[in-house]
Order: sequence, then structure tokens, then C-alpha cells
Amino acid sequence: MVVGSLIALLCTTPENALSSMLNASAEALTLSIELCGVYAVWLGVLELVEESGLAQKLARLLRPFIKKVFKIDDVEAEKYIALNMSANMLGLGNASTPLGIKAMKRLDDGSGVANYAVIMLIVINATSIQLLPSTIIGLRANAGSLSPADIVLPTLISTFCTFALGIMLVKLFGKLHKKWRQRGKK
Amino acid sequence: MSGYIIPAIFIAIFCYAKFKKVNPYDTFVKGAKKAIPLAVDIFPFIATIMIAVALLRESGLTAMLANAVSPIFNLLGIPTQLVELVLLRPFTGSGSYALLNDVLLQYGADSYISRCACVILGCSETIFYVTAVYTSGTKIKKLLYAIPVALICAVVGAIIACLLCKII
Repeated sequence: MVVGSLIALLCTTPENALSSMLNASAEALTLSIELCGVYAVWLGVLELVEESGLAQKLARLLRPFIKKVFKIDDVEAEKYIALNMSANMLGLGNASTPLGIKAMKRLDDGSGVANYAVIMLIVINATSIQLLPSTIIGLRANAGSLSPADIVLPTLISTFCTFALGIMLVKLFGKLHKKWRQRGKK
Repeated sequence: MSGYIIPAIFIAIFCYAKFKKVNPYDTFVKGAKKAIPLAVDIFPFIATIMIAVALLRESGLTAMLANAVSPIFNLLGIPTQLVELVLLRPFTGSGSYALLNDVLLQYGADSYISRCACVILGCSETIFYVTAVYTSGTKIKKLLYAIPVALICAVVGAIIACLLCKII
């Protein structure tokens, strides 16, 4: 993909290639520093949530769902997944990232291949449920919309659809993968 | 209204921590300290993805790809004007928001195209970015079917979005 882009650039504007790469890299650094600040706030709050025992309470609430969907029995991982999903629902993408990474580290079995729970976590985050798309509403209001929030209902419906579809597809593919591997062994 | 939710949650958390005899200051500092190693860990992944996206856009390859696949997307009910948005969305959050803003300004915030674009962005995520960052702390190299499933969901989400915007 990158090579293809470079070749295309060679045919059009080769002098832009390096400058756009350097720009993007500098942008990435700015973003990382900004994210570092954001993470400091959220990880600080998270530490409070954990130490005070709130995290365990939340995890207990979501445990039946998580156990069923992820097929795991790991209290620590369940806790992080519960927090990760809660942050996602509130539309706090940047707050859910450090939680997701923590959950991922717990779920990783070190084999180098993603297991069922890891894939489920990736897909759930990639199809994340967002209850209030505040950034988008803000952009629409700025662009002069008369009712910037009328996209909320269709967004909710489609986000729930993709969320459900994601879980079902992971379950389906997980079964297929298992069958396929067993056949491979025979 | 939504402006009150986050501060209210923060107040509740701080009070609850105090009530549970956890020292809010020390605990917060302890957590915040972990932000720097985390940012250092994920920087190379963010940089690589952003460089790749910059090259893709600069070279006009996304526009070409968008032209090539737009007939298929049209068949599925996704308007041509939104194909580039659907294609870029899995890679970049900031980039797709910039694209959404262009669409809003070009077609008017209340047009069908703009509403579709908003719903598409609202129901999808930056799949490749999320995957790269989430697996950055682990040894996982093979993701099996994770990415295909996520991409299928994103396309289906876009189709549902365009359909719903026609009805509602």
C-alpha cells in the first residue's frame, strides 16, 4: 500500500513524498503528546476507580454479558473490559484506549496468535457503541445545521446493528476457524 | 446537557474514593504517572499509520480507489460522494473528521449526503488504528479474522446508515 502510494507519487509529484511523510510523523508526535496529557487525566481517574473498588462493582454488573461473549474466566481482564466498554459508550474514545490495552495484555496468551477473546475485544472496539456522537453534532452545528442532533437516532440504530453483527460474526468465524483447524489436524 | 455528565461522574468518583478512605491525590498521581510510558509505547504505531495515510492521500491513490469501487458502493446504496470517507475511516480519525467537515460545507449540513456522512462516522471506528494501538503492548502478530470481521461491520454500518437517512 505504501509502496503503491510512493510509485503513484513518483509519477505525479515526487518532491511531495518526503515532506508529507515528515509532516505526518511530526503530526503523530504532536498527537502522542496530546494523548499523553489526556491519558494522564484518565489514568489518574482510573486509578481512583480501581482503588476505591468501583471498578470491581462495575465489572460485577457487566460480568454475565462479558463472560458469555468473551468466554473467559479472569476477574482482572473482565474488570478492564467492563471499564473499556463503559468508556466507549460514553463516547470517550481516548479514555477507553489505555483500558483496552490493559485488557489486551491480560488476554494475550503469548503465543503470537490472537485468541478468541482478543479478537472479540478488537471487533467490539472497532464497532464501538457510542451513545452520544458529540464531536459530529458539534461539527454539524458549526456548518449551520438547523437541527444538528437529528442524526442521533439513525446513528444509534446503526451502531447497535454493527455491534451485534460484529459479535455474531466473531462467534461464527470462531466456530469455523475451530472446525477448520481440527480438519487440518486430521 | 452532555456537558454535565463527565464532571458529575468525576465528582461522584472523587467522593466515593474519599468515602472508601482512598487518598485521592496520591492515587491520582500514581495513575497519571503511567501516561508517559503508555504514550511512548504507542507513538511508533501512530506515526506509522499516519505516515501511510498521508502518502495515500497525497498520492491521490484513495481518490483513484474511490473512483474504482464507487460502482459497487453505489449498488449497495452508498452515494459516490461518500466512498472516499468510507475508505479512509478505518485508518484515521482526524482525517475522516476533516473529510466530514468538507462534505458538510460542500453539500450543506442538512443535505442527505451530509446526514449520511455523519451517521457513517458515528457508527464506525478507526479499525486499523484501534487494532495497532491495542495490540502494541502484546506479542500478538497474527490477528486471524479480526480485521475482516471489523471491515464487514463497517461497510454494513455504512449501508444501514444510508438507508436509515432516507427513511428518518
